[in-house]
Amino acid sequence: MIAEIGHLLAFLAFASALSQVWFGFTGGGETVKRAAVGTFALTVAAFLLLIVGFVTLDFSMELVAKHSHSAKPLLYRISGAWGNHEGSMLMWCVIMAGYGGVAALTMRADALKERALGVQGALTAASMAYLLFASSPFARLDPAPLDGSGLNPLLQDPALAAHPPFLYLGYVGFSFVFSLAAAGLMLGVIDRDWAKRTRPWALAAWSALTVGIAIGSIWAYYELGWGGWWFWDPVENASFMPWLVGAALVHSLIVTHKRGGMAAWTVFLAVLAFLLSLLGAFLVRSGVLTSVHAFAVDPQRGMLLLSGLAVAGGVAFGLYAWRAPLLKSGEPFDPVSREGALIFNNLCLAVAAGSVMFGTLLPLAAQIWGLTISVGEPWFEFALGPMLGALFLILPMAQGSTWARTEPAPILKRLIVAAVLAVGAGVLAFVLYRQSPWLAPGLAVGVWLVAGVVTDVARRVGPGGISRLFKLSSAVWGMTIAHLGLGVFVIGAVGEHAGRFEQTFVAEPGDEFTFRGMQFRFEGAKAAEGPNYTADQATIEWIRDGGVVTLRPERRLYPASGTPTTEVAIRKTIAGDVYVALGDPIRDRPGAWSMRVSHHPMIDWVFGGALLIAVGGFVSLFSLRRRATREASETETGDRAQQGSPGAAAETPLGQSAGQAGGQPATREVST
Amino acid sequence: MILALVMAIATAAEAPLDDPRAEQRAQTLMREIRCVVCENEPVSQSTADVARDMRRLIREQIAEGATNAEVRDYFSDRYGDFVLFRPRADGARVLIWGFPLILLLGGAVVLGMRAMRMRRKDLAPVGDDRDAAS
Repeated sequence: MIAEIGHLLAFLAFASALSQVWFGFTGGGETVKRAAVGTFALTVAAFLLLIVGFVTLDFSMELVAKHSHSAKPLLYRISGAWGNHEGSMLMWCVIMAGYGGVAALTMRADALKERALGVQGALTAASMAYLLFASSPFARLDPAPLDGSGLNPLLQDPALAAHPPFLYLGYVGFSFVFSLAAAGLMLGVIDRDWAKRTRPWALAAWSALTVGIAIGSIWAYYELGWGGWWFWDPVENASFMPWLVGAALVHSLIVTHKRGGMAAWTVFLAVLAFLLSLLGAFLVRSGVLTSVHAFAVDPQRGMLLLSGLAVAGGVAFGLYAWRAPLLKSGEPFDPVSREGALIFNNLCLAVAAGSVMFGTLLPLAAQIWGLTISVGEPWFEFALGPMLGALFLILPMAQGSTWARTEPAPILKRLIVAAVLAVGAGVLAFVLYRQSPWLAPGLAVGVWLVAGVVTDVARRVGPGGISRLFKLSSAVWGMTIAHLGLGVFVIGAVGEHAGRFEQTFVAEPGDEFTFRGMQFRFEGAKAAEGPNYTADQATIEWIRDGGVVTLRPERRLYPASGTPTTEVAIRKTIAGDVYVALGDPIRDRPGAWSMRVSHHPMIDWVFGGALLIAVGGFVSLFSLRRRATREASETETGDRAQQGSPGAAAETPLGQSAGQAGGQPATREVST
Repeated sequence: MILALVMAIATAAEAPLDDPRAEQRAQTLMREIRCVVCENEPVSQSTADVARDMRRLIREQIAEGATNAEVRDYFSDRYGDFVLFRPRADGARVLIWGFPLILLLGGAVVLGMRAMRMRRKDLAPVGDDRDAAS
């Protein structure tokens, strides 16, 4: 019964989404709100029933039989619900309807909200139709098998249980940004108020995408057994493209919000971010890519997704071409200004996204002409390194800049210490480690970013001292944390890249070997047993001055699917991770095994930096929500306590925006 | 014959080169030569026997004094350009490497020309209001 009820609920959600479109486009007011919340509730109910099917191991459901197994631990029974094409599509629908539902409950009621919920309803209905007619998760199997065939063992991992939900919160989150853009274009209200209301959604999606990508990267690092954390794999690139465009968007939205400028470009990015998410879904699910991540290789589904992409893209860009020329330009500004710096930011990020797209799609395009070509790490480093380097050089200066026009001299003067530190770090790296060309410039840029953030906070705090540190607004903290995370990430990425070293050893029990001056002894491997796998577990002692550290890497075999996996042993030290992966038993030499030992300096900086970026995004989101609430409650205050002249000067635009928001409905400003 | 070769290597340790610089170079090359039987993996990451064989060949050639370009040519002669994660930059293929730069320069020229027309010395700087929002 569960499957049938689930299927019915999914149909009702589809119908509810259609009603959401109808009411959204005909001025349904409260009704569209109820429809959006109803769509969300119905998709959640359908998804919960699917999870119930997975938890209770209902093998008469085809999806459960294919992707679960009676010996599987509870967590992975649950995550099995989205560890496959059909289930993950349902999760896609839940999250899409969820953004609509949350927006219905939290956004200020007006035409923009109604229309955006209508567009979101159309996107949800299209996704539900694809789910119901091309990839239903509720199909039955008759006769039901006695046991399931198990989840891909690589996916049986806590990080991989959390990776898809976050990734989809990001990917699919851009759908509501898209809806706001389409609705804003239709109504002709791409203005400061539109940007202000779009910012939290863009930040939510982008921050969640950051977390999703970071978790995936952490998983790849410890699960795949090679110790790499980014491979420029096409599927990784498919998530990186919307990330880059999303990063450009959250910055350009600031310009549109604060100054009314860049409106056409901002709305273009808002559309593009979701289209790139759809492109990613197409690349991953259509089977045009061969990748460890790709699942559900099915040309028919691919065609459907491609058609969806074409329709969404065609409609959105048609709307854009029609409406964008009518958008008003913002406040005037000199190129040397915060606006100018943010435009430079957008240029670099957009070109970076375009380059990633080129490098990802080129091998596919070449295949059409019968050429085989591979584009990998060296190309992507060459393509993105200098571009992002230039962006990061500007960043600390942009943080101290003013709107409209910026006097560069005082900013540069404040940054002298940061510049000295950065150059010093670069020179030191060049002298000590000359063989790795990226290290010196990369380290200099990373130190420049971190020192730049510190300089900026010091300026904002002023001579008042530490106590003022706690009075900085959460908006400042959001930006500070994200940019600090970026610096930490850059330092970690170049450090790990330059310093990683690996070596393969073959040892018999009792053998000792030396790796980078560290002494190891292989004690042998023995059989071990897990809930749904058997394993060979090696014991390797790392002999240090202060004692012995025992490392136990494993090779696992999951009989249900017959796939072997590696479980690496990682020992964290101040100098980085010591990473041991067990290889294969050696033929003709009983008890002997090959093993790969590697050293990954600064790897935690990479992941820590990425997570800090996401935290910064969430803090900014929180500050915008809080400010929106406060502005709603105390309209027309306009004169909050000011400290220092820049703040006082800035109050004018913000006050205007608050007045605008509280006063008349934004729909009056239709520019046509 | 090939099979025998592969089997012989499978039992041998992958000893690093004595010169750490040469070993570093070899490992860099291993990260940019693509494994021919795997899905989208460089030979450095693969546990396949062929990849092991290719790693050994890279070390051997580096030890014999081959340049990075010679090692790359050795593999592309045998397996085609497919094995090169670093696409070649000769002839029309220089465009592959030039593309990001062209894109950047194109964008920069368009924006730069606009910026030239937009010089506004008369505007008063407007501060970052976030300072005051606490």
